[in-house]
Amino acid sequence: MGKPETVRLVSKEGFEFVIDYKAACVSNTIKNMLSSQGNFTETELGEIKFPEISTPILEKVCQYFYYKLRYTHCPDVIPEFKIEPDIALQLLMASNFLDT
Amino acid sequence: MSDRKIIDLESGWDFMKKGISKLKDLLEGQTEAQFNAEEYMMLYTTIYNMCTQKPPHDYSAQLYERYREAFNEYINATVLPALREKRDEFMLGELVRRWENHKLMVRWLSRFFNYLDRYYISRHSLSPLKDVGLLCFQALVYTEVKRVIKDAALSLVEKERDGEQVDRSLLKKVIEIFVEIGNGDLNDYDKDFEAFLLKATASFYSRKAAVWIQEDSCPEYMLKAEDCLKHEKERVGHYLHPSSEEKLLREAENQILAQYEQQLLDKEHSGCHALLQDDKTDDLSRMFRLFNRVPNGLQPVSEIFRKHIENEGMELVKQAENAATAKKDSSKMKDGSSSTEQFFVKSIIELHDKYLQYVTECFLNSSLFHKAVKEAFEVFCNKAIAGSTSAELLASFCDNLLKKGGSEKLNDEGIEETLEKVVRLLAYISDKDLFSEFYRKRLSRRLLFDKSANDDHERSILTKLKQQFGAQFTSKMEGMVTDMQLAREHQTRFEEWLSENPGKKPGIDLTVTVLTTGFWPHYKFIELALPEEMANSVEVFKEFYEFITKHRKLTWIYPLGMCHVQGHFPSKPIELILSTFQAATLLLFNTDEKLSYEEIKERLNLPEEDVSRLLHSLSCAKYKILLKEPAGKTIATTDTFQFNEKFTDKMRRIKVPLPPMDEKKKVVEDVDKDRRYAIDAAIVRTMKSRKALAHQQLVLEVVQQLSRMFKPDFKVIKKRVEDLIAREYLERDADNPNLFRYLA
Repeated sequence: MGKPETVRLVSKEGFEFVIDYKAACVSNTIKNMLSSQGNFTETELGEIKFPEISTPILEKVCQYFYYKLRYTHCPDVIPEFKIEPDIALQLLMASNFLDT
Repeated sequence: MSDRKIIDLESGWDFMKKGISKLKDLLEGQTEAQFNAEEYMMLYTTIYNMCTQKPPHDYSAQLYERYREAFNEYINATVLPALREKRDEFMLGELVRRWENHKLMVRWLSRFFNYLDRYYISRHSLSPLKDVGLLCFQALVYTEVKRVIKDAALSLVEKERDGEQVDRSLLKKVIEIFVEIGNGDLNDYDKDFEAFLLKATASFYSRKAAVWIQEDSCPEYMLKAEDCLKHEKERVGHYLHPSSEEKLLREAENQILAQYEQQLLDKEHSGCHALLQDDKTDDLSRMFRLFNRVPNGLQPVSEIFRKHIENEGMELVKQAENAATAKKDSSKMKDGSSSTEQFFVKSIIELHDKYLQYVTECFLNSSLFHKAVKEAFEVFCNKAIAGSTSAELLASFCDNLLKKGGSEKLNDEGIEETLEKVVRLLAYISDKDLFSEFYRKRLSRRLLFDKSANDDHERSILTKLKQQFGAQFTSKMEGMVTDMQLAREHQTRFEEWLSENPGKKPGIDLTVTVLTTGFWPHYKFIELALPEEMANSVEVFKEFYEFITKHRKLTWIYPLGMCHVQGHFPSKPIELILSTFQAATLLLFNTDEKLSYEEIKERLNLPEEDVSRLLHSLSCAKYKILLKEPAGKTIATTDTFQFNEKFTDKMRRIKVPLPPMDEKKKVVEDVDKDRRYAIDAAIVRTMKSRKALAHQQLVLEVVQQLSRMFKPDFKVIKKRVEDLIAREYLERDADNPNLFRYLA
């Protein structure tokens, strides 16, 4: 039973973000979803739709995934993760939803 | 995301219900379709929305409730009826299946309701979703069926014990349920399953054991016991929980072994006693292994072992006694190296070897059994045989080994080994100082009369004794050995000195051995009037000795001396090897042909019994060098003696033996005296440290201190205490007559 290599996240508008499985699992919600599926092992491509999250938000979220992966357990100086104030609120709610 | 439709509780819940039903179908195996991402998403989002809505639409509490209800409903509706239908083994199977399903269900539903978990539950400190699910199952299903399940499982186990094949994996899964239900701790498992398991095991084995003990002999029973224990262990490995292993084995052991141990060991023809007699080492090892597991199991076994050794030892003692008394009745017995006693010592050594081997092989060197051997040997080693104690026997045995012409003809290694064993046996004898005295006496005889076969052996046994018993034991004997060396050196110097001063040469060749008084056993000093030639030589040596050492007093011990006298008999000259006394007597006849008993006594200046012995050896023994009138075998004070001209013998050189004195009594007396001093010293030592002590405790202390050397008699100790009081080392306390005080 292999894990899928990449995951597709689809935003409200239908944009597809293809990211690593490991990056996606930063979000507990996505991780749970992916592990209870049974029929993605053959195609190795999981797809999850988020009809409530808009594209720029989802984009920022994906960036965060990679940021988290890159700097976790890293002794270097960690650069700041820039968040534009006007998307902050929506980003917050999305994060809450995704448990990130 | 700012404006969303407010989702109503009922409509939201309907949506959820659809999802849950789908899950249920999945579990029942009725649909094939899994959840895909979208459905999952929808369900999760619905929950999310319902919880994040502003109150009063915040439905978290209700959702939590509904979650629990969903479980209960499912269980009541489907699971329980299914279980109630089946029986026994099928029921077990069904239970396992249901449990697996339940676990799946918990997992899925917790995922859906995950958002609840995150915030609502932690804020209100409720049990997490997983636990809720588990609790539902436990409350509804488990409590109802646990007894039935347990009975079914136990009957399967019993079937397996009887030898049937059972589905082990099924049992394993069932037992896992018991464990997992406890949710982390093993309480449920212990209470509901293990306790009954142990009881069932106990009853099963007690039944079996009762049958076996009647039918089987001891070795067979033990084989079966070992088998059972092995099986039980396997069983645990296969499907029981590891924590049960200890208890299970203990239970089984208890039933099979502990209950019947005494009966087993006492079995008439095959019990422990019989095994020992027949030397069945295999069975004995097995017995040891089995009873090692049972607490206090080895006690009775070691008891029997000890008694057995004791019996065998006593047998040997009796044999030796009988042989000795028989010999005594039939002929004169010379004390010391009689062959039955040699045999006795040798057989004791063999016995010891044999049983030590047992202990190392069969009983894995257990200290309990070493102790048993020690105690048994102590009992019969200290029994006296025909008047001589075993201390004396051992001493004479060693003597035999070490002297020239002894009855033991072993090579060097053999002698070393035997000496080792003798030293080990010595540890069992309580009168070690008696042995020391006897040995010293023999050693001195060997050294002085040059009868020792090998100097190295002498030294080696001394080192062994020193290792075992400390330097004090062997200091005197070592002194003796060194003395001999020194004496030889002295002799060479004496001869050098003589050659330097030719005028001093005595008429005869003189060899003197100088001994240090403290080391050598006490010899009676008998004044002897020496014939002229000998007296001269004595003077010469005295001069020499004062020349080389100062402030030393020489005491001459004539009884130990030896002379070579050339007897000019008319038929042919014969060289006679005599003791100094005998030589002195014969030299008297150089001047006079005939002498009477009284005259001889006067001239020699000896006590009467010595004179009698002397004359007896010269006139009535094998070589009649003197003729006695009247002739006969006894000496009377009125006899006269005449030089026997006609004496001749086919040998050129003969040795005239002197009948030995009865040393035994003297040795015992000496040892008693030494003991008295030792007891005195011990008493004073104890009192000095304690200052005041009651009589009983004093006695105990003294006994303990002296136990290494010998076992002191209580009466003797009491007497010594009285003596010390008289000598003002101790005093009685004024108030308490039982209390003693130390006087500085």
